Amino acid sequence: MKRAEYKVPGGKLLAAEVEEQSGTLISVKLVGDFFMHPEEAIIGLEEALAGSPLDEIDERVESFFSEGDITLYGVAPGDFVKVIRLALAS
Amino acid sequence: MTETWRLIDMKIENAPTQMAIDEAIAINRLPENNPNTIRLYRWKPSAVSIGYFQSLEKEVNLEECSRLGVDAIRRITGGGAVFHDYDGEITYSLVAPEADPKMPRDILASYQVICGAIVDGLRRRGVDAEFKPINDIAAGGKKISGNAQTRRHGVVLQHGTVLVDSDIPTMFKVLRVSDAKISDKMIKAVEDRVTNVRRYLGRKVPFTEARDALVSGFEETFDVHLEPGRLTAGEERTVEELKAKYTSSEWVHQR
Repeated sequence: MKRAEYKVPGGKLLAAEVEEQSGTLISVKLVGDFFMHPEEAIIGLEEALAGSPLDEIDERVESFFSEGDITLYGVAPGDFVKVIRLALAS
Repeated sequence: MTETWRLIDMKIENAPTQMAIDEAIAINRLPENNPNTIRLYRWKPSAVSIGYFQSLEKEVNLEECSRLGVDAIRRITGGGAVFHDYDGEITYSLVAPEADPKMPRDILASYQVICGAIVDGLRRRGVDAEFKPINDIAAGGKKISGNAQTRRHGVVLQHGTVLVDSDIPTMFKVLRVSDAKISDKMIKAVEDRVTNVRRYLGRKVPFTEARDALVSGFEETFDVHLEPGRLTAGEERTVEELKAKYTSSEWVHQR
């Protein structure tokens, strides 16, 4: 398991715990003091990313937020991508 | 005629019960057609609450909590970790329909309105407080209140902490400060970013006085009369059901 934290400038703290195997993101857990409405959507985001090839992470995050009626405060969709990439590189 | 909301006043309960009561009021608000509700409450024993998305182990020093007899619980609201010091903190909660004309549809705007009641209450006691978006209230540039909101069951549920005389050194023993190196210098810096009513005013403010100010703040901000009341039988039943969730390891350790 690899982990990274990222403080969004002017926003909240975000952390990702990732499991990676041969170019695939096996699982990810996203934690932090941000706000997401509805809250349970975080589980859907983690499920949407599980099994993703590493080069598909950006578009999976993007399509998850473009399809659902989800409101974020203190983080933006791109910050989730960023913290996952940081964790993978750690 | 002034609208009447229900006030559930300075109830002292443990962490799972307090969180179950807030959620039970939200769940039953529309089905039971209950009045909008303001709660003021204290946590006994003292407890740390963490945001819905936070990791328990990363945010809370569980060893220190168990040494000090401090409980730890996960909220249904996002946001950060809070130390609810029995001897120094008042928590409030507000439940009102999302469709209520006094409740902005926009979440950020509604933080400003609801936090405005706390700001008003603090100013009544001479604390020059101001709202700090997204969800904080500061006095003299230091945090004095943190707030968190969820929207479900067609209602707004916002709860928050008002630091009256919270033990700030203990706060930073039970809370883990992310990535901050454990040096006295850092701890000092973090402690300097938080204050409480006693520190700000240089005098002890009794809970009754702080409570009266907050009640006035809510009444003025929402142009309502707060009428002391109790939970309904339906709400009490929901509280009992929800306590099991809030005490379960699956919930508390979820992230």
